[in-house]
Amino acid sequence: MSPGIIGALGILSLLILLFIRIPVWAALTLVGFTGNCILSGLHSALSLAGTSAFDASSAYTLSVIPLFVLLGEVASNSRLSADLFNAARLLLSGVRGGLAIATIAASACFGAVCGSSIVTAATMTRIALPEMRKAGYDDRLATGALAAGGSIGILIPPSIILVIYASIAEQSVPKLFAAALLPGILLTALYMVVATGIAIAYPHYAPRMEKASARERWKALAGPWQFILLFIVTIGGIYAGIFSPTEAAAVGAFGSIVLGFLGRRLSWATLWRSIETSITTSCLLFVIIIGANLFSSFMVQTQFPTMLADGASAMNLSAPVVMIMIVLAYIVMGCFLEGIGMVLITVPVFLPLVVKFGYDPIWFSILVVIVVEVGLIHPPVGMNLFVIQAQAPDVRITSIYRGIVPFLIAPLILIVFLFLFPSLALWLPKLLYG
Amino acid sequence: MDHEVSPSPAPPRAVKRLQTAQLRLAAVALMTMMLGTVLDVFFRYAFNKPLRISYDLVESMLVIYVFHGVSSVFLARRNIVIDVIDSLVSPRILRGLAVIADIVSVMCLLLFLWGMYEPAMQAYQYGDRKIELGVPLYVLWGFALAGLLGTLVCAIAAFFHITLRQLRRQP
Repeated sequence: MSPGIIGALGILSLLILLFIRIPVWAALTLVGFTGNCILSGLHSALSLAGTSAFDASSAYTLSVIPLFVLLGEVASNSRLSADLFNAARLLLSGVRGGLAIATIAASACFGAVCGSSIVTAATMTRIALPEMRKAGYDDRLATGALAAGGSIGILIPPSIILVIYASIAEQSVPKLFAAALLPGILLTALYMVVATGIAIAYPHYAPRMEKASARERWKALAGPWQFILLFIVTIGGIYAGIFSPTEAAAVGAFGSIVLGFLGRRLSWATLWRSIETSITTSCLLFVIIIGANLFSSFMVQTQFPTMLADGASAMNLSAPVVMIMIVLAYIVMGCFLEGIGMVLITVPVFLPLVVKFGYDPIWFSILVVIVVEVGLIHPPVGMNLFVIQAQAPDVRITSIYRGIVPFLIAPLILIVFLFLFPSLALWLPKLLYG
Repeated sequence: MDHEVSPSPAPPRAVKRLQTAQLRLAAVALMTMMLGTVLDVFFRYAFNKPLRISYDLVESMLVIYVFHGVSSVFLARRNIVIDVIDSLVSPRILRGLAVIADIVSVMCLLLFLWGMYEPAMQAYQYGDRKIELGVPLYVLWGFALAGLLGTLVCAIAAFFHITLRQLRRQP
């Protein structure tokens, strides 16, 4: 049996194991180890399993994960998001659909510090949904804005998915963070346009609110200063070349703890809870990364990605057609695979194919994150939709489904933009890092 | 996508204590990573004297953090699973699948333990050290093996005290 066929069988076995509820990390480990055993023998496969687990757990670049997760947890527990939403709400008062737009803006900003879509969606639902309901907003627009806004968190840096992508694709984390900034801002703007469009087309979905005075708006701007400071120090520090991502994450996490205590928003009990949650969340990711490393070594040995590329060339498929097929495959997989798992399983297979067809791995990383985002919000299984429903059980899931549909157009437009103007993702990394 | 079946029966006290101890160790490692890096940044920009050990410190603490923190994931059954099958099969089959998933998880942990033993012994024999920190690598391998052993205990406890009990209890 050729290595390529063994690779194809490995992928099939992986999908079967995932389907029968084997944890993602264990499925990746089992298939990766068995494949490596077949191709290079038991001793070599065992040695690879032992060293790759240790290497992944002592990789300096991956230390950014627990530190950014801690920063996000502390920021979430210090109620920074409430200040953000309040500022956005007052600044956009008087605008049709202003609360929905404010929700998207606050979610994008909070996601920029927190880095997790699910935490952003859950936190913002608790804060913004009662306000929108009080203002007479329709549940469909309100939950749509919350789900869409929450999903931006994984694109706007710091993004945990981009760190993981960087580790598999051997790319620079600061470059990927730079690449994600413009698409992240553009996606936020597109979501805001969708929210405004809905508010104009269906005025009863978003009753106009009283305009806040200039003084109130000015005062509101000062509210989220702690957040602005954290953002400038962490992300600004990376872009300016002052900090490495790990340093930025450590300084940001430390700063959020100090600010939390100084502002009496954080207690020792909340800090411990934040630490505990960060440990569980990030270690959960580390075991998947370890399993994915084994799977990735197996894929490299089988040369399955090369076989795919050869197959595509033999069928005379053009590069855009291959990319469209990959995007469609991601959207379909997003129906049942979890985002990070999907990245870890697919990138070792698709990336060599994408590079062979002349696309930039940095550009591809942004495309992957956007399609993972689509997976987070598209019915029937978008995780953010369930998170919102868990926070607001009286909202029917069908209302949330209907609410998110118009927002799905925004990431799809962004994908088209990325194909038409690749410099959207490649210009800033080139400018900053050459 | 979902996390594994949520636990109902509590694990034995000794296992819970082990997991708490590992969690605290991971928390100390996380705080050391954070503070070490912050101090390095502070000394570098304030006095132009960076902490030369910070890189090694972060790498070493990350080993302790991951291998000891992961036991909480197993005991709380927080590993990520794909749940598309849930609406297609009966709860009885789902409980059976949970048993298979736990057995596979324990097998994979044993595999890592087996795979890590030889490089750990080699690190002990060769006596290599972290360049700046000076810590022998076998100490880190020791922490990793101990953490993995604790995780294995937690995974087995979760299997016997949660999964099997749920399987027996429900018709």
